[in-house]
Amino acid sequence: MATDNKVSQGTGIDEPSNHERHTTNLLDRIKNKHRSTMNSQHNNILVPEEVKKLKKLYNIIIVIVLLAFILATIQTNFNPVIIFAKGGNFIDFVVNDLTPPNFKGVLGLGDALLQTIAMSMISTFFGGIIAFCLCFFASYQTAPHPSTVKIVRGFASMQRNIPNTIWLFIFRMTFGIGTTIGMVALLFNTTGRLTRMFAEVVDEVGKESMEALDSVGAGYLKKLFQCVIPASIPGFVSWLLYSAEINIRAAGVVGALGGGGIGLILSSYLSVFRYKTAFGIILIMAATTILVSLVTDYLRKKVLV
Amino acid sequence: MTNTNSLLEITNLKKYYGLTKAVDDVSFNIENEEIVTIIGRSGAGKSTIMRCINRLVMNNGGSIKVDGIEIGNDISKKQLLEARCKIGFIFQHFNLVYRLTVFQNVMHGVLGRISTFDGIIGRYPEDDKEKAYEILKSIGLEDQIYKRAGELSGGQKQRVAIARALMQEPKLLLCDEPIASLDPITSRTIMDLIVDQAKQRGIACLINLHQVEFAKEYSTRIIGMREGKLVFDDTPINLTNDKINEIYGSTDDIDELNPEYELAAVSGGAVAVGY
Ligand SMILES: Nc1ncnc2c1ncn2[C@@H]1O[C@H](COP(=O)(O)OP(=O)(O)OP(=O)(O)O)[C@@H](O)[C@H]1O
Ligand SMILES: [Mg+2]
Repeated sequence: MATDNKVSQGTGIDEPSNHERHTTNLLDRIKNKHRSTMNSQHNNILVPEEVKKLKKLYNIIIVIVLLAFILATIQTNFNPVIIFAKGGNFIDFVVNDLTPPNFKGVLGLGDALLQTIAMSMISTFFGGIIAFCLCFFASYQTAPHPSTVKIVRGFASMQRNIPNTIWLFIFRMTFGIGTTIGMVALLFNTTGRLTRMFAEVVDEVGKESMEALDSVGAGYLKKLFQCVIPASIPGFVSWLLYSAEINIRAAGVVGALGGGGIGLILSSYLSVFRYKTAFGIILIMAATTILVSLVTDYLRKKVLV
Repeated sequence: MTNTNSLLEITNLKKYYGLTKAVDDVSFNIENEEIVTIIGRSGAGKSTIMRCINRLVMNNGGSIKVDGIEIGNDISKKQLLEARCKIGFIFQHFNLVYRLTVFQNVMHGVLGRISTFDGIIGRYPEDDKEKAYEILKSIGLEDQIYKRAGELSGGQKQRVAIARALMQEPKLLLCDEPIASLDPITSRTIMDLIVDQAKQRGIACLINLHQVEFAKEYSTRIIGMREGKLVFDDTPINLTNDKINEIYGSTDDIDELNPEYELAAVSGGAVAVGY
């Protein structure tokens, strides 16, 4: 689109055509205003744009949380001064109980860490595969019938909007604790989120290129595999990596609540007040998370050229 | 006009969008090897006619026959795909899959002819691949074969689109404003390319143009559209200034500085038709 604008404003052969082009451009610009911001076909800046949007969202959330906190403080007569008055306790706790972190003597720490990583990666992977199969039914551009869009999107929203922790509670009541339920809880959430996100990526595939494949006489499946999927790959990969990052974080929490892995070990040390060891585990979890986001950032740059 | 062997026969074609008569009772034929251009103001219905021909848009009335096949409401899905195979389409915005390579885009031209499975995995017959290479060479893109289509310039993109259409081995080539997004010099190259290739391969062309000069220069026949109606259908020599005025309306029909004109153009182009 950008080139169109440049070119057509620079040419002036005859009056009606020039004028016409100007108006079509206006039309195009308005039509594509939304699309051009994250069209995976025309540019690959989908990731930064998405990240920017998310950052904005987080900023808004922070403001809302702060406001809610202030309101709640007033409502509950909570006195922030207490924090300062008893701040000594906190410092005392940090200096004496929490530090130095202890990394020794934790049985099965390596295995647990691997379990947590596996839990998050497997749920991301299979969530991605399921979402890949479902997303084409959830986008009006590719849905075989409009009704499938509502059904699949509804299903995905349900999975996504029920948090990991709730899924975990549901499964824990039925199956008891363990990495399996942790993984399934993560998988449910991931599938829901990725189906929605993938469907949006498919929505953004240029109608133009799909029309071109119509015009050569390509049927539905050929169109899907020769146009929609190639055009969507960067978007899919980017959301998949984002999901891996979220899941490695969530796996800790889900684990602590009974989903197994390093989270469960952490909660057991916390429950017997062995804070130095707990702190060591927390540091390991943090390091893992940072490492995973470094890797996903790297992959994102490598893959999405 | 009642020659039954025409390549394209359009009879009383009608297409309405709500109250807008985008195409209003239009009839014309195109014979083999003809180069016909359609001119007319924005919103006159030029694109709509083209899209009706390969049924990217469904018409409300009249009939369209391409090479003897009726493209109407009771065409089967298979027949439609086969008919589309025979009709190349060049778009103003090139409509390539920009993530794929030039070669992959060109090979899309044979998608209509190969099996679904081969289409899905992108396996094409060897001789088609050779042909694609020949075509790319003849239009001067052999160095760009493995480049991503998105990395090309506008003129190069349009050449890839032309190559894709030629791969279809079409009998009829529809070009909807093929040069409207290009600069004047590239425009000329692209027009030359389309017309030369069409002549070489015996393909009939129907081209939407905004440049009357180009229409006069390149076509064997010109069709003038105004507000959905066909108002001119003759050889370029007979397109006098009076006729041009009749097609486009006198220039003071529109007040260029009137902001409402722009607004209407944005909201669907109704005023551009001259209501
Ligand atoms: N999808 C659509 N929905 C509603 N109205 C449409 C649609 N497509 C075209 N129209 C209307 O049909 C009329 C003819 O449009 P068409 O695109 O065929 O014009 P055109 O001659 O190709 O114009 P341009 O030179 O601007 O491309 C216009 O009034 C337009 O607003
Ligand atoms: Mg048009």
